[in-house]
Amino acid sequence: MSVIDPVESALGVRPVPGTPRPFTFPAGVRGRLSGGLALVTVHLPGRPLISASLYLPNGAVDEPAAEGGATVLAARALTEGTLRRDAVALTEASERLGASLRAEAGWDATVAGVDVPAERLGPALELLAELVREPAFPEREVERLRDQRLNDLLQARVDPARRAEEAFIETIYAAGTPYARVAGGRRETVETLDAGILRQAYGRRGDPDRAAFVIGGDLADLDVVGLVEPLFGDLVVGSGSSAASPRVEDGLDRTRVRLVHRPGAVQSELRVGHLGLPRRSPDYHAVTVMAMILGGLFNSRLNMKLREEKGYTYGAGAGYDFRRFAGPFSARAAVNTDATVPALTDLLAELRRIREAAPSDAEMRAARDYLVGVFPLRFETPGPIVGALGGLLTFGLPADELDRYRPAINAVTGADVLAAARTHLHAERLAVIVVGDADAVGADLEKAGIGDVEVVREPDPAAEAA
Amino acid sequence: MTIPTVRYTDERLPNGLRLVISEDHLVPVVAVNLWYDVGSKHEQPGKTGFAHLFEHVMFQGSRHVAKTEHFALVQAAGGSLNGSTWLDRTNYYETVPSHQLELALWLEADRMGTLLEALSQENLDNQRAVVKNEKRSSYDNQPYGTWQEKLFGHLFPDGHPYHHPTIGSMEDLDAASLEDVAAFFRTYYAPNNAVVSIVGDADPGQVRTWVHRYFGPLAANPAIPAFHAQPLPLTLGGERRETVPDRVPLPRIYVGYRAPTLGDRRLYALELAAQVLAGGKGSRLHRRLVRDAQIAQDVAMFGLGFSSGPSVFMGWATVRPDATAEAVEAGFFDELARIGRDAVSDDELGRAKALIETDELAALQRVSERADRLSMYATLLDDPDEINRQLERYLAVTPEDVRAACAECLVPDNRVVLTYVPADVDVDAVAESTEAA
Repeated sequence: MSVIDPVESALGVRPVPGTPRPFTFPAGVRGRLSGGLALVTVHLPGRPLISASLYLPNGAVDEPAAEGGATVLAARALTEGTLRRDAVALTEASERLGASLRAEAGWDATVAGVDVPAERLGPALELLAELVREPAFPEREVERLRDQRLNDLLQARVDPARRAEEAFIETIYAAGTPYARVAGGRRETVETLDAGILRQAYGRRGDPDRAAFVIGGDLADLDVVGLVEPLFGDLVVGSGSSAASPRVEDGLDRTRVRLVHRPGAVQSELRVGHLGLPRRSPDYHAVTVMAMILGGLFNSRLNMKLREEKGYTYGAGAGYDFRRFAGPFSARAAVNTDATVPALTDLLAELRRIREAAPSDAEMRAARDYLVGVFPLRFETPGPIVGALGGLLTFGLPADELDRYRPAINAVTGADVLAAARTHLHAERLAVIVVGDADAVGADLEKAGIGDVEVVREPDPAAEAA
Repeated sequence: MTIPTVRYTDERLPNGLRLVISEDHLVPVVAVNLWYDVGSKHEQPGKTGFAHLFEHVMFQGSRHVAKTEHFALVQAAGGSLNGSTWLDRTNYYETVPSHQLELALWLEADRMGTLLEALSQENLDNQRAVVKNEKRSSYDNQPYGTWQEKLFGHLFPDGHPYHHPTIGSMEDLDAASLEDVAAFFRTYYAPNNAVVSIVGDADPGQVRTWVHRYFGPLAANPAIPAFHAQPLPLTLGGERRETVPDRVPLPRIYVGYRAPTLGDRRLYALELAAQVLAGGKGSRLHRRLVRDAQIAQDVAMFGLGFSSGPSVFMGWATVRPDATAEAVEAGFFDELARIGRDAVSDDELGRAKALIETDELAALQRVSERADRLSMYATLLDDPDEINRQLERYLAVTPEDVRAACAECLVPDNRVVLTYVPADVDVDAVAESTEAA
């Protein structure tokens, strides 16, 4: 007679999932203000914290190379004072409402917004309109922000991840491509920025179809149009004439290895990759599934090999940074110094392998099920929902893109992933960046035969600041 | 403005597992957050870093789950998950689409009941290597990366459970054995040492059935050792200072104070003081050091609440290239003295409260945050209802409360000051000579 183990009888059978409750992306209602600005409202019952964002078609990618960093700094300066009040008064007014006013620019857009409890939405929107429409760009504050950015760039020299990122984009993009610099700009151009340049950068106007005012939360008791129209109705956001597309050019004609010396580093920070593809690529969904399998899931090929099998790293990953134009593809890991060459060898082998054969059915299922299943988790609260709706306009995507997302992911086949890897992942023309102790890893890296090794030795950051 | 009350039930299974359930059907997702009453404070000398290493082992499989399969199953279910270890506790959590809740509960029960059956030397060695790389990534290879170890090292005496960092030392990580893992599991990973909170789109009756089914048969440990920390005075009794050469371009000062234990009302007054001092562009330190004098690159102040001894109230300021650490420090401490001397204005305090109110509203929107907080308050303060009392506790603070708490806590005799300076010589040589001294 067998003894019944109560633990085994409870846990011996793995549960099967129940019936999914339907989830649809919350419907945004599109309208227009009198001056033409798109207004997108999304009613989310039970969400009393309202999130509102104005998307302006003015990104760092649109700025002249000589003014690199101006767009990001200009957005930051919006909260530093208006024609009516200085930064402190503006901040205090916003704090009294329990509102967080924000303004920032990235590659693709400048976004100014506010998160505030519903009952204080009106006065919070007035503050938002004030900083959007009447920014003062006070000289003293602009100079301080510029100096803080320069100091931040100094700090970035000693942060291994930021240093690797900088070396990586300089290598994968041709000089002159906006994406070859960080969006916040490099020292040479940031140093020259002043209030006049920022005012001009902020005033630059792009395609009005990429602008929108997006607001989400429990809007049941709010007259949104009545609040927004008087404040933003006549705002001019577009120039009518679209600016020429920036030049985004590949900087690689072969594999290049760059070793940035970090004396005494106990780890090597690795970045391997190349130029990727724009967000509006028809291969977006196939590439997304491919990147999940390669380096997105915890059980991705890179993390399983470098972390769970070899113990070289706390985490390895890979992915595409999707922007309006071709952003970077990179594989990443920070590995203990001794493991630098073995880890790179394994990483490169995985980049080759995913181009050789379609992933297994199990890998395909894991990636698709994750991307489809996690979709409702991503859109639990107003902030991310507003962000996704704003993103559609920023990228010029169709209004049903978010509804199409899960069916499109589910339709991706192993053959699609293989084709996407062969098209959008280069195994022979790579930037290989290592930020680590060149004295410890340089010789082995040369011998590994990955490519010509260029060692970058910089002055000590401590001496540089003095 | 009113923050919606979090409604929940609070009960115990016969084996001691505390179960908290809170229904919310707004979005078809549900969060599971399991807190074990064990953290790095329970570690013995020579075994630092062990609670956290153990957390990694919890993802290496159990009787019915293969190595790394826990992650694979939850992610394939469309879930997000992780674990974390801190001084007072260890927690494990999943947020999943609601029809996948049973899987999450089964996975947590399987490792609570049968972890050791899957334990192997190979997996332990692998995760030891991973954790050593986590330590390198998060601390050893980071600018200013030693601040936490140094600050806590000064605030708590050698041998006190809060003296050593949660990540541990390389030597101790190397020494961890399979026997240590087994003993730690048998001692602390029992249902009567845990709280599981389930928040979101689920029927409480169904949740109860599943929790009883999967966790019910797991045996309690009747002999969990009581935890005793050496009692410490709430103030340090003298200033402690250390200058730390590091490979950084800008000097930075870190300041730390002992503060009242978690749950003490003075800690709420200090949190509000932190907001007044350094919470954003309108704050006193930002205005004085960053905006007006332009000698600091950034400033920060915040509290870290602990349940078995003094909490930590701390902050930092990064020194601009053209300024001196002395000038920044003088301005910093002048503001800290002022807030302990003169009451903050009603307007300042009102603004700080309004921001905290919005922060609470934002945080409690998410089911994962609610589950985490319910488990936290049940574990550390024995009362999940604290989730509904936080805002009133903040709002009850008066200008005099802030002044009094700061006057008591933010005094020179209670502070540790670390000054990071750009190293002009080989950093390793400096570190070695400091240790030898």
